[in-house]
Amino acid sequence: MRRQLLFVSLLLFVASGFVFWRQARNLKQIGITPSLTGQMEYCLTCHANLAEISQSHPVETFGCVLCHGGEPLALTAHLAHSSMRGSANPSDFAVVEASCGGEMCHSGTPQVNRDHIQRVTTSLQATYAGGIAQVRYAFGAQPDLTAHMGVYAIDGLSAFNAAVESSPSLQFFGRNCLYCHLTGQPLDGAAYNRWSGCSACHSPAPREDGTLVHQLTTSIPYTQCNACHNRGNYSLSDMQFHPREDAPTDRLHDYYQPIAEFTRCEWTLDCVDCHTRQEAMGDGHIYNNKKEIQYVRCRTCHGTLDSLPLTYTITDENDLALRLAFLNPVVDLKVGNTILMTEKGELLWNIQVVPGDGSGTPTYELFSKATDQRFTFKPVMGSSCKQQTDQQEAHYCHECHATQR
Amino acid sequence: MPPKDDSLSRRNFLEWLLKGSLVGSALLGLGMLRRYFSFQNESSPPSQYDLGLATDYPFGSHKAAPPAQAIIQHDSQGYRAISLVCPHLGCVVNVTRDGFACPCHGSRFLPDGSVLNGPASHPLTVLQVERNAEGHLILNSG
Repeated sequence: MRRQLLFVSLLLFVASGFVFWRQARNLKQIGITPSLTGQMEYCLTCHANLAEISQSHPVETFGCVLCHGGEPLALTAHLAHSSMRGSANPSDFAVVEASCGGEMCHSGTPQVNRDHIQRVTTSLQATYAGGIAQVRYAFGAQPDLTAHMGVYAIDGLSAFNAAVESSPSLQFFGRNCLYCHLTGQPLDGAAYNRWSGCSACHSPAPREDGTLVHQLTTSIPYTQCNACHNRGNYSLSDMQFHPREDAPTDRLHDYYQPIAEFTRCEWTLDCVDCHTRQEAMGDGHIYNNKKEIQYVRCRTCHGTLDSLPLTYTITDENDLALRLAFLNPVVDLKVGNTILMTEKGELLWNIQVVPGDGSGTPTYELFSKATDQRFTFKPVMGSSCKQQTDQQEAHYCHECHATQR
Repeated sequence: MPPKDDSLSRRNFLEWLLKGSLVGSALLGLGMLRRYFSFQNESSPPSQYDLGLATDYPFGSHKAAPPAQAIIQHDSQGYRAISLVCPHLGCVVNVTRDGFACPCHGSRFLPDGSVLNGPASHPLTVLQVERNAEGHLILNSG
């Protein structure tokens, strides 16, 4: 009996000592009560040195849990991370509505084109509906080029299922060719490294050493786009991805496939300098192919021999152009400034008409969204260009303006 | 007479070990209890702020009151405080030459707190300021 009592008391002593030691080595907790949630969270106990993710999402206002999920009061990594959304990427489309959605944030707002989640999840970059329609049509699985399927079902598109396709080519297509849409996981290799969901474009990819970059940005360099684009070709003959074999060391050769031609502005600018928000992120409608949504052409900025590019003068402090320029402040836009505008009315807020005396041809100034560089250019009108109004595809411009490589 | 054996007997050693471990456990337990009961929750922000003597806010002044996240204005209508918390999502606005500007989403406000441009759709909150018997300005943020 006495021996058992001794054993129990020793056990109690060791257990108490262990608990005391665990308590004593706990970090000093750092709490924050974000103004949007009003709920204490201790994430900063371990993550105090993390950089602010963006100017628009300060931690004092948003905290961490609103976007990332997780257990706000936990002080151990295992418990704190146990209910996180999307692991390190809350913008993955599987969880994006819970993380980034809401009428005050990025979904559900009645304001035109402000429902970012609805727009991007119906976009061709997310559904791959155009590519699927083209390939199914090519292999006789559908009678026309209309988009009926996406990589997931949404807004009238059904989910593409390679297993039920009768053509072996389409089965291979399903297995080998659906990596690049925004819900897909990238191929192995640094060149393909990117996140899924919104962060595929708006966050830098994890570094090669595996460390992460806590950043959201609208200043998107072409290298970010290149994680999917310009990496090689999918071949319809064997339904395989064939990576490009050249190893470009400068931007001129990195930008496009070796056989492609392009003009100076196509490789000196970044993709987002010309391609608009609706082209890249969709406008909420389902399109059948890239050509239907990607509509910015040479004449959008350069005009034609008969007409100048469309312009828009900012008259209201609430103008969308001012808001976009605020989020990526490469240009100091003000009410009264005149900017260019696409045929669909999208504002090219980073291209200003340089104020002049109104006589002669105008000059335009483009402020690169990713590099802060400025480029000035003149319209086609009044130049010696031989452009035909109905010949607007880039290859017509390439006949005279292609860069030699 | 055999010499007295001063060495600890096995029985005594075990007795001391038993008592020692019990006392040690009790002390550790008391330490943990003390730690438990001395834990202090983060205090919630006060709803009242003493802004100091009213004479420190002369007529025409616009003075920041950082703890209260407000600007104290003294004009012909008396003393009033404009909250620096943006009514859009709760970021703290900056004071600019033309009024106030939110660094998060770009809302701007005129010096009286009214909206110049969104996304905020409501003006900055005007908070109540009273002068107490001691001549101090008291701001009620609640």
